[in-house]
Amino acid sequence: MTHHIEELKKFTINKINLSLIGIFIFSVFLFVAISADIISPYGPWERFEPYSSPSSDHLLGTNDMGNDILSELFHGTRVSLIVGFGASIIATAIGILIGLSSGYYRGLVDEILMAITDISLMIPRIPLIIILAALLRPSFVIIMLLIGLLWWPNIARVVRSLTLQIRDSPFILSSKSLGFRDRHIIFSDIIPNIIYIIIPKFMLTIASAMISEASISFLGLGDPTMKSWGMMLNFAFMKGALINEMWWWYLPPGLCIVGVVFSLMIIGFALEEKDNTEEVDE
Amino acid sequence: MKINSKKLIRYLLAIFVIFSLNFIIPRAMPGDPLTNLLGEDFHMTEETLQELTEQMGLDKPLHLQYIDYWGNVFRFDFGYTYHLKGPVTSVIFSRMKWTLLLVLPSIILSSIIGSLLGAFSGIKSSKKVSKMLTLTELGFYSTPTFFLSLIFLYIFSFKFGLFPTKGFYTTGSLFDILHHFFLPITIMTLFLNSRNYMIMRGSVIQEKSKLYVVYAKAKGLSENQILFRHIFKNSSLPLLTILALDFGFILTGALLIEIVFSMNGMGTLIYDALLSRDYPILYGAFMIISLMVVLANAFVDILYGIIDPRIGDGT
Repeated sequence: MTHHIEELKKFTINKINLSLIGIFIFSVFLFVAISADIISPYGPWERFEPYSSPSSDHLLGTNDMGNDILSELFHGTRVSLIVGFGASIIATAIGILIGLSSGYYRGLVDEILMAITDISLMIPRIPLIIILAALLRPSFVIIMLLIGLLWWPNIARVVRSLTLQIRDSPFILSSKSLGFRDRHIIFSDIIPNIIYIIIPKFMLTIASAMISEASISFLGLGDPTMKSWGMMLNFAFMKGALINEMWWWYLPPGLCIVGVVFSLMIIGFALEEKDNTEEVDE
Repeated sequence: MKINSKKLIRYLLAIFVIFSLNFIIPRAMPGDPLTNLLGEDFHMTEETLQELTEQMGLDKPLHLQYIDYWGNVFRFDFGYTYHLKGPVTSVIFSRMKWTLLLVLPSIILSSIIGSLLGAFSGIKSSKKVSKMLTLTELGFYSTPTFFLSLIFLYIFSFKFGLFPTKGFYTTGSLFDILHHFFLPITIMTLFLNSRNYMIMRGSVIQEKSKLYVVYAKAKGLSENQILFRHIFKNSSLPLLTILALDFGFILTGALLIEIVFSMNGMGTLIYDALLSRDYPILYGAFMIISLMVVLANAFVDILYGIIDPRIGDGT
């Protein structure tokens, strides 16, 4: 038994280290996003000699339009993070609302909401966004909304099953018998008890939303006035950065996507796995 | 063949919703419905446009259009592309087989490799090897397929010239096709493998704390026996469900790989349709991908019934 506890201790400590690395990487990106205007050497639209290689003036060279790639990259951080965060906040909010209502009220409400959730889960999201984006030619805010409105079903299902698990626990029953309203029970008893599972899901949804935004932008459907990392990759790919060996053009935005997503994934999975080892599934 | 009626109704509803979306979107979006339906960037005289409006029934009230639309759906008529000059379904099907040739082997390979590695890592979850492996897999998990494709294309095709830079085939011999498919399938497998690995690892970690495993251990079975006789079977079920649910996502990943490798599958079809604003192709692709997702889910449900006898009617 003591052996077991020691192993568990080692385990958690390692997990914490891992998520610390994730948090560190993520903070760096967050810092860049917030201070993009200050740390960028030039404006993202300022024009210089196009297609120049990295030099002391332009650490990552310039693109086909003569924009400084490093400045583009810093400003892109902002766009990509806003889309990821915004979409995930929307998706998580809808997911919690639907999942909670479904799990808490059960019965007909549950049947209907879960039917909607299951059906939404089956709709291929990126092909749908491709159509909407092609017709709307949207701004990055609309792309964020679209992703948010389509990414909730997974969270709804998780929240529902957690709510079902705890809705009949003694502490909820006692709240009920004390005459508290449903809304009070949901907000002060249920949500605080499931939030530790929702947070990693929220992280993973940001990651997934960012990859989706990058994919959509890579297809050339991004907001032309806001250069995200996906857009930079799209331009680099279209203008032959690969064949001309201009790694400084396509590698940095790609690595940034991988970096942020990776940091969110380690935080998310580290938190999730810590829970999995402690609790038994439904 | 067992599939419970509630699920069957859900699948039918899903198909109904998807097809209805496809009816609503071109008509509800800003812009002229005719343009939204036919696409842009090709010239037509006023008269032809007028004729087409009548022919497509766009001058009729919406509910009548909707009924006509379902009539077309049942005749498997998903529209006509004026860019490629052909019925959308036949254009898509001629490209789809290539995409499936990329996707299906990758799904099979990645399921085998991913679930074995994931199970191994789940059992020995506190070992260092397991942690390093998880970090590596998370790295692949975090990499968009198109970016991995760009890197592989650069390193293996441009730099070392080991593989062709584009297309499905040049001569058409078996070796030639395999040669062209090698990198895309590798990328697709790495990508899917990381997902399967994480799912399997998570579910083995959950399963191994369950009572039947403790019992099997008490009975004196070795770790490997427990893993393969008991845990593996129970843990592979969630993997199947997620594979089916994510089928649309998996296909999207493949589409992006195709675009980077200029392979003439669904991906390049959609990409070209986007560039030339050929909307009918986009609608058709969305519907056919959706149908495939629904079918994949139904297929897994049936398979479930066979693998796990506890799941049957009425659950």
